[in-house]
Formats: sequence, C-alpha cells, structure tokens
Amino acid sequence: MMKLTSRITALLTLAFIAVFSAMTFFGGKRDISPEENRVLAKAPELNAKELYDGRTGEKLDRYVTDHFAGRNRWLVGSSLIQTELSESIVNGVYVSDDRLISTDDKGITDASAMAEVFDSFAENYDGMVYFAAIPTSAGVYGDVLPGHIVRQTESQQINALYYAMDSDIRKIDAYNILKMLKDNYIYYRNDTKWTSYGAYCVYKTVIQKLGFQPNSYDKYSIEHVTDNFRGNLYNRTLSRRPKADIMDIYEYHNGAEVTSCIVVRRDGINAEGQIFDREKLETGDKYSMYLGDAVPIMRITTSANTDKKLLVIKDDFGDCFVPFLFQHYSEITVVDPSVMTGKLSDYVNADDYGQTLFLFGTDSLSDREMMSKITP
Amino acid sequence: MVYSSLLFIYGFLPVSLILYYITPKKFREMMLLFLSAAFCCMISLYFLIFIAVFAAVNYIFMHLISRSRRNEKLSAVPLAVGIIIDLVAVFAFRTEFFTWLHRMIRAPEGFYPVGISFFALGAVGTLIDVYKGRIKADRNMVRFALYIMFFPRLLMGPLLRYRVFTNILSNRSESLSEMGVGMTIFVKGLAKKVIAADNLYMLYTAARSGDVSEISAVTAWLGAVAYILCLYFELSGFADMGTGTAYLFGLKFPQSFNYPLFSIRLKYFAARWQSQVTQWLRRYITKPIYGVCSKRLLREIVFIMGWGLFGFWYTVDLGGTVWGILIGTAVIIESRLLKKKIMNFTGMIYTFFTVVILGVFLSGDSLGGSVRYLFAMVGGNGILADADGFYLVKTYIVLLLVTMYASTDLFRNLMTRTGRNKVKAAVMAVSPVLVLAVLILCTAVISYSGSSDMLLMKL
Repeated sequence: MMKLTSRITALLTLAFIAVFSAMTFFGGKRDISPEENRVLAKAPELNAKELYDGRTGEKLDRYVTDHFAGRNRWLVGSSLIQTELSESIVNGVYVSDDRLISTDDKGITDASAMAEVFDSFAENYDGMVYFAAIPTSAGVYGDVLPGHIVRQTESQQINALYYAMDSDIRKIDAYNILKMLKDNYIYYRNDTKWTSYGAYCVYKTVIQKLGFQPNSYDKYSIEHVTDNFRGNLYNRTLSRRPKADIMDIYEYHNGAEVTSCIVVRRDGINAEGQIFDREKLETGDKYSMYLGDAVPIMRITTSANTDKKLLVIKDDFGDCFVPFLFQHYSEITVVDPSVMTGKLSDYVNADDYGQTLFLFGTDSLSDREMMSKITP
Repeated sequence: MVYSSLLFIYGFLPVSLILYYITPKKFREMMLLFLSAAFCCMISLYFLIFIAVFAAVNYIFMHLISRSRRNEKLSAVPLAVGIIIDLVAVFAFRTEFFTWLHRMIRAPEGFYPVGISFFALGAVGTLIDVYKGRIKADRNMVRFALYIMFFPRLLMGPLLRYRVFTNILSNRSESLSEMGVGMTIFVKGLAKKVIAADNLYMLYTAARSGDVSEISAVTAWLGAVAYILCLYFELSGFADMGTGTAYLFGLKFPQSFNYPLFSIRLKYFAARWQSQVTQWLRRYITKPIYGVCSKRLLREIVFIMGWGLFGFWYTVDLGGTVWGILIGTAVIIESRLLKKKIMNFTGMIYTFFTVVILGVFLSGDSLGGSVRYLFAMVGGNGILADADGFYLVKTYIVLLLVTMYASTDLFRNLMTRTGRNKVKAAVMAVSPVLVLAVLILCTAVISYSGSSDMLLMKL
C-alpha cells in the first residue's frame, strides 16, 4: 500500500514536471510579453568568459523563467496565492480592491546631489527654469500602506529637494494640488502615473507660473479612448483585482493646432512623431499612446499666435501633460533624458528657449545616471 | 542555481534523471559525478574549478596521511596542513580578512563557493578519520570527488561522514517507489522554503524595519518568532530538497532536522536541530576532549564550547557564538535543575520560548543591538503594542499558526503513525494528489522571479 502510494506520487509529479519542462523547451518562444510590457530574456550564448564567472547560469535561469510554459497563468496564480499567504504585497506592489500601489520605489534618495544637477543647469542657462516634481500614486495614496513600509513620504522628499535647490528655480508644488484632489480620478488604479485629469489639474498651476491664463476645463472635449488600460503595476503583478483604467484624450476646440512634430529617434534618425498614437492602444504598452514611443527629443510646432518657445525636460509623467501646453507656445521641444544616449547639449541648445520646464515623477528623481545627462 | 528554482526543477532535474537512468548501472557513479560537475558549472565554471581543486587537494592529503600512518608524528603533518587549508578556504570566503587571497586565486567579483561550510567540514572529518585509522583512504577518485561535490548535498544538504556517504552510495535502491518518497520529501522542502520561509522572512523584515528603540513589544516578539521559524524552515527546507533529490537517484540520505522547535526538552531541541552538524562537532571536537576531562563541570564547559563553535559556524561572528554558548548553557542548566518529571506541554512551551529569545542573538548584527532588541521584547520601549504590531499580527497570524503547527511532529504523526486503518487509507489515497498540488502551488509562487534564493545566512 505504502509502495503503491509512493509509485503513484512519483508518476504524478514526475509526469507533471516532464510535461512542463517539455512544453517549456519545445514550446513557442515570444520576444516580448504584452502582459508584463517588457522584452523577455533571450537564450544565452555560450562563451567562455560568461561561463567562467557564472553569468551564463544566471542568464539561463532568467531565460527558463521568462519562457516557462504558461508563464502568465502562473503569474496570475502567484499573485492570488501571495495575497492570501501573507501581506497583500506581490513583487513589491500592494494589491487592494481599489488600486495597486508600489511599495518599493526608492524615491528621491539624495536630495542635495539631485538638486545640484538642476542648479548647474540653471546656472548655465539664460532663461527661466521651472520645476515640477510629481508624486507617484504611492505618494498620494500611500497612507493605506502598512506602517512598516512608508518611512519617508514623498511630500517630505519633494520638500527636501526643493529646499536644496537654488532659489532662482521656480518650484511648483504639485504634491499638495494632487493630494487635495485625491478623491478624483487623478491617478490610474493600475499604474504609478497620473491620469490626464491629474495632469490637467497641475497644468492649471504650472501655466500660471509660466505666465499664462489656464484654459478652463469646459473648453475641452474629452474622449475615452480605452477603458481597458492596465499599467506598469499590473505588469508587475498581473492582478486584476482593481478595475481596469480609462485613458482620455483632451481635445481643445477652436484653438491652435499642431503643425509639425518631428522626433529624433533613439538611433539618431529623424522621423515624424505623433501626439496621440492610437495604434499603441492595441499593444501591451497602451500608455505610449501619449506622444508615442519614448524618444530622446521631440520638436513640436503649433499654430498658436505667439513666438514663445518652451523646452520641456520630462519623464513618462510628461507624456500626457505636454498636449495641454499647445495653446500657449508656438514651439515646444520635449526632451526625455531616460532614452538619451549622450548629453542634453548634444541634442538641443537650451538657450534658444526662453523658458525651461522640468517635469519628473519622484521615481525618476532617484536615477542619478539619467539625470547626470542634464548637467552641461 | 538553487533547488528552489524553475531551472532546477523543470530543467536540470528531469534532464539529469533521464541521463542517469539511461546510463548502465556500472557507470552510474560516473554519471552522478558528471551531473554534479554540470550543476557546479551552472553556478559558474570558476566554482567547478574551485571545488575540483578543493577535492583534489583533499584527496592528495588523505593519501599522504594514509601513507605516513605508520609514523604517527609524521602523519600529523599532512593532517594539520590539510585541515588548515580547508579551514582557510572556509574563512577566506566567510570573513572579510582574506580579500588578498581572493585576488591571488583570481576569484571573479562576488564569488562565493556555495555550501563551503558543509563540504569543508566533510573533508576535514574525512582527513581525521583516515588519520585515526577509522577508514581507509579511498583510492576511488570518483567517489571522493562525488563526496565533496554531490549536487543534492551541495547547497546545505545533509552533512555526512565519508563512510556513511559511501555506504549509502553502495546500497542504492533505484526504484519508482523510492522516487515517490524522494518527490514527497523534495516537495515538502520546496514548500518549506518558498511558502513558509519566504513569507516568514517578509514578516521578519517588516518587524525589523523599525528603529529598535521605538518598536513595540508585540512587533519585537513577532520579529523574533518569525526569525527562528524562518531559519528552521529555510535550513530544513534546503536539507529536505537535497535529501529528496538524492532519493530520486536512489540514495537514502538521513534527515537533518527532526522537528526540533517544539521539543519537550531543550536537550531534545539540541539533539534534533541540524543534527548532522552537531554530531560532526561532537565526533571530531568535543568527544576527544571529553576523554581527557573527568569532572562533570569540565565536561559541561566543553559541551557549552561545542555549541559555541556551532553558533560560530553559523554566523562567523560573536553573535552566533554567544547564541551557541547560551543554548549550550541552557541545556546544562536544564539537566541540572530539571530532575522531576514535568508536563510535556510545559516543556514544549519553555523550550520554544528559550529558543526564540536566544535566537535574537543569532539574528542580531551586534551584541549591543541584540540586547536592545531583547529590551524591546520585554516592553522596554514603553510600548506594548501599536498599530504596526496589530497590522502584522492580523496579516500574519494564519501563516504563523500554520507554520508553527507544521514545525511540530503532529502533522507527520497524522500522516504516518495513525493507528486507524480508515484514516491511514484516506491519507494514502490523498497524499499523491496533495504532493502534486503543493508542487503546483510552489511553482506558481516562484514563477515570477524564477527562483527563491533569499537566505538568512550563507553557509
């Protein structure tokens, strides 16, 4: 009896292992995972050096993990199990019915070093510098997180950064605007970023600082382009507990229009860019609908009746923000240091612009390497 | 590569099983060596070279000792040199004093020979046994190399003496039912690691994330209990996975942990906690000294020192040593004071509490920090419980209770020792499905990162 049970155990488990390893090794391989919105690992190539120091083993591990048969289903199961087993935290993301919240963003770790980067830009720049640090959804909704996770809030981080920065830089307090509006749909439930509405609310303040009257909300017609957006936090958990998100396009009627939009792609080639790339809505990377794929630089000219020019240096948070500026400037150049290969000065001469707006989420403001490209 | 990874379970393991079982019986030991070499190579080629050189050096010294055995004084020289080399190998990687040596042997950045604490002890023990004439120096290089680098034993697997290992190797019984036993043990170990230990680790880090001078007593206790449970599930999980894998190849390895946490006496805890390592220390270090000591007090001091050494082996710092000494002392105090019979339940409670409280020394970074932590545990910060503590209790209570239950032998007894035939039949019928279900569960849990290699201590 005992032996029979053991034999059945052996057959069952080994058959299971055999089936899944066969499916993993002989099954079809994908290059990207739309659910996780990332490029999957490639099969490691054998070479003596990597074998010698153990990188081959690590790469093979990564490869098998990424291409494991039925990976997405396993991940969904994993996040269900994980939330039941202990805290509702899956891969560093807090899962609740209302929203997903990242728990492991580093935030602005070294405010004074970060401030130096922007100070040195401002010192060598003739125009006015404006700075908006945008909290992530964890910063605005972090108070539901268990106490042992939040040590320094994002508002403290932003204050420390603003305090350390040169007084010539005009700082915009986006945190308190957003915090006040936290009951509105200003952040996606499944992403760390703000919604277009969140961006609009901050735009009203920003544009006043920049010297304009903001356009009122009722001048826009709002189009819900998708109600099925699941963002970067979903990519990390594959948890469908919160509802999917709605993405909006704000269209301003009878105003200035975009006359040209030229981008310099990562490979250095110029191409036509798009403000709203609706084809992206069919992919796993829906958020790229705003301004299309990330490019180092994007030059937008509008029919706005002015000769004012603006330089925007931003991260992903800027993508849905930039369209609000079209009514006020005839030329806007948008720079994304995260995908720049060289220095900022290789791409653009900042002194051509009377105003420069920095717009970063707090999660990018810990990235020293990315920010160092801004220093002249 | 660790046992608790998709690459091992769904890649390395099935391939190696196929290769092993299509090999004719005569060459199977060679095959095991080849597979072990492949396993080491997946960690890194450098590690394979390192461990092969380590095995070769010990093989040579073993034969030097054996050759010169007629002259006891002469043979002590290769013994001493061999032991020193082995110990230097351990300390070179477990402490920070030997970085020059890393450069000398051109170790890649961040190289750590996994399992060195285990296979180095094994090698030292073998040298001593040959010196004492307890075993003959084995001419079979394959077997000796296999002893050092056998992959189911490499990562925290059970520590076996050379003769025990070769006996097991010679008396292999490769059958489907043994494989079933192996899979059961393996899956049990996997669950211990990825379900119990990893989640307890989250609780431990959550409880420890606060400042030690501010945390409440409840949080401090949670941290301490989580630590000791996590340590138990991690060490015994790895040992079980190794043992289970060995069973798949027909090798019947013994158990390392015999449900120590809820023993009814401290002395049973001491006997059941990682018993192969404590037995090793007794056999090669404390027992020879016992022979010289006639007084009871002296023997007790030797016993305590032996435990101190065991603690030192864990952490290679003062905290671990203090932990060992305190456990040893507690066992001695118990044997001196506890003459009368006491209720098993009472014994269980005080054993568990002693182990949890002393465990603080094992987990702490410094002695001062550990003392402050103990202070927090008795409410020295003036806070008995706060919102954080309540949240952690609320979130983790199920996990804690389940893991505490699983670390007693009640569950095992339910499965194997029940007298009622009906229950037995039901357990028998359910267990294959249960094992498969747990395997699926564990696969899901590790599916995101592909492996679970978080460790409380590197051994």
